Amino acid sequence: MNDPSELEGELKKLRPVQPSAELMSRVGSTLANSEKGSAKIIRPQSRPSGSDFRINWLGLGLGLAAAATFLIFARVDFHPNDKTKPTIASATPSLQQKAAALPNYQATGLTQVVYSKRDEGLVFPRGAEGPSRRVRTAKRETLQWRDRQSGAQLAVSYPTEEVTLIPVSGQ
Amino acid sequence: MENVATHEDWKVCFSELAPGLVLFARQWVRRPADAEDVVQEAFVRFWRRNLSIKNRALLYAAVRSAALDLIRRDNRRARREVEVFGEAERTVQPQFEQLDDSQRQLVAALDHLPRDQREVLVMKIWNELTFAEIAEALGISQNTAASRYRYGLAALKKTYQPQ
Repeated sequence: MNDPSELEGELKKLRPVQPSAELMSRVGSTLANSEKGSAKIIRPQSRPSGSDFRINWLGLGLGLAAAATFLIFARVDFHPNDKTKPTIASATPSLQQKAAALPNYQATGLTQVVYSKRDEGLVFPRGAEGPSRRVRTAKRETLQWRDRQSGAQLAVSYPTEEVTLIPVSGQ
Repeated sequence: MENVATHEDWKVCFSELAPGLVLFARQWVRRPADAEDVVQEAFVRFWRRNLSIKNRALLYAAVRSAALDLIRRDNRRARREVEVFGEAERTVQPQFEQLDDSQRQLVAALDHLPRDQREVLVMKIWNELTFAEIAEALGISQNTAASRYRYGLAALKKTYQPQ
């Protein structure tokens, strides 16, 4: 079979399977319906197993939209336990009030922990005579108080950032 | 097929074209029922627009488009179709009638062709489209269509050994 036409002849001998008789009637019904203004495609009643499941995207989309709307308006709190945990941020305002109301509290310590120091290089500040080196320092400060009578202690901790300009002399 | 162009009755047109159209659709969707859905949708769409049946390239482009739409509509099934492209469906759901051993071997060789070559062969051999029509339907040049056809035949010759 060196001649391609021989192979073409062999291929042409193959007859495609005839479509089901139902197809013709389905097309006829659909075309008839289309003349009446309907655009529905008629599908067979019984289908092979596994092909019946189709996702209704419109329904799914509407469902998701409704769920999203509910979440927005209902403000569902996914971390309800966080409210029960005492945090420094929530304790700080009342701490000041308590400190004012309790004059027995006495400052006992200040701790500064430097956890980052970065030299950002030369800068030329306005009004300065020469260049400066800018050093950025990140720290955490902790202030402590102690009640003289009961011995109770209070501590406040917060992050700070300090920028230092060190003049550079050109020698 | 030549007289198809002169018929205005959809039944005559459809009965002549349907086997080739379903075979063409089955290049993407292997289930015969899905292929028939695709052909129905494409043919109805084509006929409603009152397009001339002479413009067969548009009809085949519509079938191709409907098949791809079906695949996109159901990604899960599409993945399955691609993953098992052929194996079970190829043997369980024959695309051709009454095959002898030699023809079965030829169909198996055809099934193993790359899809772009196989679709050109299907359009040319069993749907009798010209290379110009194939090119228009697939959105490729005529030279590309012709070369895919040649490559397809050459690949078939390599794998198919008639008994």
